[in-house]
Amino acid sequence: MTRPSRILLVDDEVVIQRALAPLLRSQGYEVDVVGTGKEAVDAVTDRSPDLIVLDLGLPDIEGTEVCRRIRRESQAPIVILSARGGEADKVAALDIGADDYVTKPFGSEELLARIRVALRRLEQSEGPELERLSVADLVIDYNRRRVLRGDEDIRLTPKEFELLELLARNVDRVLTHRTILKSIWGGNAVDQPEHVWVLVAQLRKKIERDPSSPQYLLSEPFVGYRLVSNPGRP
Amino acid sequence: MSVSEDVRSLALGCGAIGLSTWLFRQSPQVSNTTTVSLSFLVVVLLAAARAHLWVAVTLSIVSMVVLNFFFIPPLGTLTIADPQNWVALLAFLAVSLVASNLSTVARDRRREAEMRRDEVGRLFDLSRDVLLITESDAANTLLARFILRRFDLEYVAICIPLDAEWTRFESGSLGSHGLSSDDLTAAFSAAEGVPEVERTAHRRLTVGDRDVRMVPIRVGTRPFGLLATAGRPIEHGTLDALAGLVAIAIERTHFLDQQKRAEVASQREELKSALLASLGHDLRTPLTAIRVAADNLRSEWPNERERLEQSELIVAEVDRLTRLFENILEMARIDAGAVTRDARWVAPSEIVDAARSRVDPALRGRRIEISAESERLVRLDPRLTAAALSQLLENASRYSTPATSIHIGATVNDRELTITVRDHGDGIPPGDLPHVFERFYRGVRARTSRSGTGMGLAIARGLLAVEHGQISAENCADGGARFTIVVPADVK
Repeated sequence: MTRPSRILLVDDEVVIQRALAPLLRSQGYEVDVVGTGKEAVDAVTDRSPDLIVLDLGLPDIEGTEVCRRIRRESQAPIVILSARGGEADKVAALDIGADDYVTKPFGSEELLARIRVALRRLEQSEGPELERLSVADLVIDYNRRRVLRGDEDIRLTPKEFELLELLARNVDRVLTHRTILKSIWGGNAVDQPEHVWVLVAQLRKKIERDPSSPQYLLSEPFVGYRLVSNPGRP
Repeated sequence: MSVSEDVRSLALGCGAIGLSTWLFRQSPQVSNTTTVSLSFLVVVLLAAARAHLWVAVTLSIVSMVVLNFFFIPPLGTLTIADPQNWVALLAFLAVSLVASNLSTVARDRRREAEMRRDEVGRLFDLSRDVLLITESDAANTLLARFILRRFDLEYVAICIPLDAEWTRFESGSLGSHGLSSDDLTAAFSAAEGVPEVERTAHRRLTVGDRDVRMVPIRVGTRPFGLLATAGRPIEHGTLDALAGLVAIAIERTHFLDQQKRAEVASQREELKSALLASLGHDLRTPLTAIRVAADNLRSEWPNERERLEQSELIVAEVDRLTRLFENILEMARIDAGAVTRDARWVAPSEIVDAARSRVDPALRGRRIEISAESERLVRLDPRLTAAALSQLLENASRYSTPATSIHIGATVNDRELTITVRDHGDGIPPGDLPHVFERFYRGVRARTSRSGTGMGLAIARGLLAVEHGQISAENCADGGARFTIVVPADVK
């Protein structure tokens, strides 16, 4: 049996700690709880957690800065708890290297699902490189650069395949517009989100059964896109 | 130059003529007609330079007579034999006239320059005064007073037409008379048609027995008001400069006003976004905790102890939300003027008890020391006072450690009830002290960590204001903060 994953919970609100810590422990995770950004960075060095749940509104250090400092020490996935209405902080944190986010107030399942996805990705990235990925009834073959739905061969342009591959390799994880732009069009394109909109619309026409209400390639408003592995479930 | 100085100059001149006559008579070898007359001419010139024309003319006649009598043959008589001597006399007169005229002109110039300098000095002083005007409400009246003082006038009015009526900002008085609106309107409409540079824009007016001078106040070329002065006469140019200064001063206060208003507006915007941020945080945190705890309760995993913990957490957070909503509602009621005073006789200790029970959860486990007046009753609105006090208690508990005690004191004198709340926390940072009662203001320390919306103390102040009560905050010398409520009340 593998050892239980160790999660570092960073939130300054005692009530949140008291609600979340038992929940995470009940799922078999080992949980460390800290209340400030400084403690969080220290704990990352000392205890090398497998995943960090980080509240962006900490009293001592700006949330995005905490994110950056953690990234210097560790590649462990970071799931952000964002209490702020603004999307800018979320996007900034994701761009810096956070893996996912949930917006307060959230339900237990939502947070647990995000944590599971992030931990699973961690396991996969440590395992051998995959040759193909199945997303519901889609099979994405990286080597042959083909996408199949049953026997049907879905023909994609090179750019469309690039986008799908990017999303598939980060399946269930939100990718910001900026991340997508950078990895497909290069660093000069980061200010032209319309590239992404157009390409996503084209891709949806080919892979979604009903492009107007997508099931696989979901928008995260103002943040980015996410390819979901189990359509219909959070 | 006064008459006495003229007389003195005349006497000096006559003396000089007498002295030179005597000297020349003593030494006949140097005293030919030419030397004598040149000497007299010097005396006349000196007198002309110093005194008025009549002194110079008188001296030239005296010189002529003396010259004629003592030095021009036939000596000892006042007859002039030689027509050459008529020429000498005329020369005397001409020199004295020309010299005294020149000196008079120079003197007038000097006097004018001095007056100019004086008025420029006054204008300068006034401009300094203008820079000191920061308050816009009384600015124009203040300006009129400054002009009156700086220019030693008897009356100054800055008149501005507003909606067909004249607003007058006056200093000094015109006796029993005042400036009539008709006069002002006439002067103003006359000024409207006249270019800035022309003096016809100036108006003289007799009000009662005073001579009032009016000059348009212009922004650019367009007049927007009148400056009326009475008393000491002021140079035309100075009056125009004065009006220009008044225009600048009025413009300046106008800009200051706008700037202040913009500042207030931006502060209000900041407050609004601060409120939204803090409300957002204060709502989402308990909601998240409640949501997760409720999910936890629904799950299989919690044991009996964990279930109790989670349900207690829910209750505590619901209480916190309730308090938050109560505060928001209270604030809205204060803003809407919906809080009314309902006075009745009550013992001070009742108010303290009522306040404590309102914030019971926050005070749980705290040591509360109470010294409350028990002999006398006060007549006031116990709800408002208790609600205000409860805000102070909640704050005292929030900003001090649980191990320390909170002291509540209630005393009564003949006119008012005084309640103090003293904690033993860190006190209020001096920089925050002037602002603690401002709405949504949160202390430097509180802003980052502790929950709270910055409404509590503003609510307390708002509630007390309905009772004409007051609230103040201070730091105690031996640590901790003390808040004092004073409510005027009948006492028995």
